[in-house]
Amino acid sequence: MHESRTLRLQRAMGALVLDGDETAIEADPGRVARRHDLPGADQRAFRDQVLGMLTYRELARASLIEPLETMFPVLKALLDGTESWEPCVQAFLDARMVRSSQYRDIAAAFLGWLATSRWGLERWPFLLELAHAEILETLVARFPDSDPIEGLHPDPGPADFVVLDPATQVVTYTHAVHRACVEAPSPEPRPTHLLAFRDEAGLARLMELTAATAALLVRAQSQPLAEAAAALDIPDPAELTRLLQDLRREGAIAGFQATPPFTS
Amino acid sequence: MGQGRFTGVGVGLRRPHLEQVAGREDHGVPFWETCPENVIGEGGRFHRMTRAILEREPILTHGLAMSVGGFDPWDEAYLQDLGEFILHSGTPWHSEHLCFTSVDGSCLHELLPIPFTREALRHTITRVRGLQSRLPVPLLLENITYYAELGNAEMDEADFVSAVLEGADVGWLLDVNNVYVNALNFGFDPKEWLSRMPLERVAQLHIAGHRKFGDLTIDTHGADVIDPVIDLMQWTLARLGRPVPVLLERDNHIPALDALLAERARLQRAYDAALALCEVRHA
Ligand SMILES: [Fe+2]
Repeated sequence: MHESRTLRLQRAMGALVLDGDETAIEADPGRVARRHDLPGADQRAFRDQVLGMLTYRELARASLIEPLETMFPVLKALLDGTESWEPCVQAFLDARMVRSSQYRDIAAAFLGWLATSRWGLERWPFLLELAHAEILETLVARFPDSDPIEGLHPDPGPADFVVLDPATQVVTYTHAVHRACVEAPSPEPRPTHLLAFRDEAGLARLMELTAATAALLVRAQSQPLAEAAAALDIPDPAELTRLLQDLRREGAIAGFQATPPFTS
Repeated sequence: MGQGRFTGVGVGLRRPHLEQVAGREDHGVPFWETCPENVIGEGGRFHRMTRAILEREPILTHGLAMSVGGFDPWDEAYLQDLGEFILHSGTPWHSEHLCFTSVDGSCLHELLPIPFTREALRHTITRVRGLQSRLPVPLLLENITYYAELGNAEMDEADFVSAVLEGADVGWLLDVNNVYVNALNFGFDPKEWLSRMPLERVAQLHIAGHRKFGDLTIDTHGADVIDPVIDLMQWTLARLGRPVPVLLERDNHIPALDALLAERARLQRAYDAALALCEVRHA
């Protein structure tokens, strides 16, 4: 079926905003209309209102790109070093991956696109980790609020399972990406384990973990604490208990229960 | 439309002010406007402050990214959440922009103009009716600023907006700054333009600042409201002859709360003066 002229006009506007070929678009916005099979009068309207049409391009691109520049300053600094930031952003726009009408989802969509497209990973193996680390705290800070989980107790027993707060994330990177900064955006290769969680005041906090503690927090969600600790050769149960109690008090752990959280 | 609580000049609730607004009740703002997209599905500290304010203060809801004139299917799950949010907020109506914001599922995060054509008009009326049927309160549509007509126009903006409002039988959120900016960019008289419009459908006004960039004036919501726009607000209120709520929008270069409250108070005085003049005339 022939698409309606209204839809073709809207598609042409979408292309005018998102397409990469800036010089051609600036030289003749009418070409976008022609490519979308629009009649000559519509092509002329695009061409005759060049200032307005290019204003739309500028405004819409700014609203799509600004959250990326704000959320990924280190990634931008890294890629700017080889003039690769703009090609990266354009590849993202070309993929049409901004599918959510919520503005806050633009940065997460960019991260998802980096993961699926594997853009730049050959050249910068830490690229995805770096981007993830840059929005980790924001994702945790804004994680949707939910009702408290019921039936948990505050102190861990050897047969208990750990229940993390829903906003908490335990992440492992191959590079120390959380130490990278705009001045030194290339992270050193060093296995890094982070706990990101929301504290009592609802603010995100980041804590570096040892490899063993990170592994325990993952394992003990589906295996009783004593078994998980033994499997990981964690020697001192009293010290472990203190750590878990601290993490519960600080908000990273919701509590402990005698049944595995995902089967109860 | 149950607007008893909603009169005078309200303010758009913005993130930089949340903490202060949550902590004080002497702000003098009669009502606030909030964007449900920025509240639904959120969590954490700022979200908790927003929720606390929404529980305490009179609220109007104003959507940012519903592609009213577009073709993408409605996000039914979001509309369900939106409906619950609207009912909980107690807002007498919900507003969206008369524009499209997405195409083929790709969100452009800009208010883009619907073609001023008969075909687009029929399509938009059907879409607006569909959206209204999914909302628990009356829908208002807001006139946008536009910087170009999309394609070869078959009518002008005034005819298009009027025909959508009448054809879909919905209320109007009249943004006087948008009328003013369009009048500058397209060279028409804003009062003549308004005189052609179905003013009986107006339930709320928006007012904001704008900025000139070269040959084009852009609706930035980033500056104080200028006198000619205040004059247009007063002229409109006089025409309406009823105390419809006015909402001050500020989205860029957001000033300190006290400065924004002073700006609101200035607009409130202009609002009161316009309505007092109406009463004198009617007496
Ligand atoms: Fe507005």
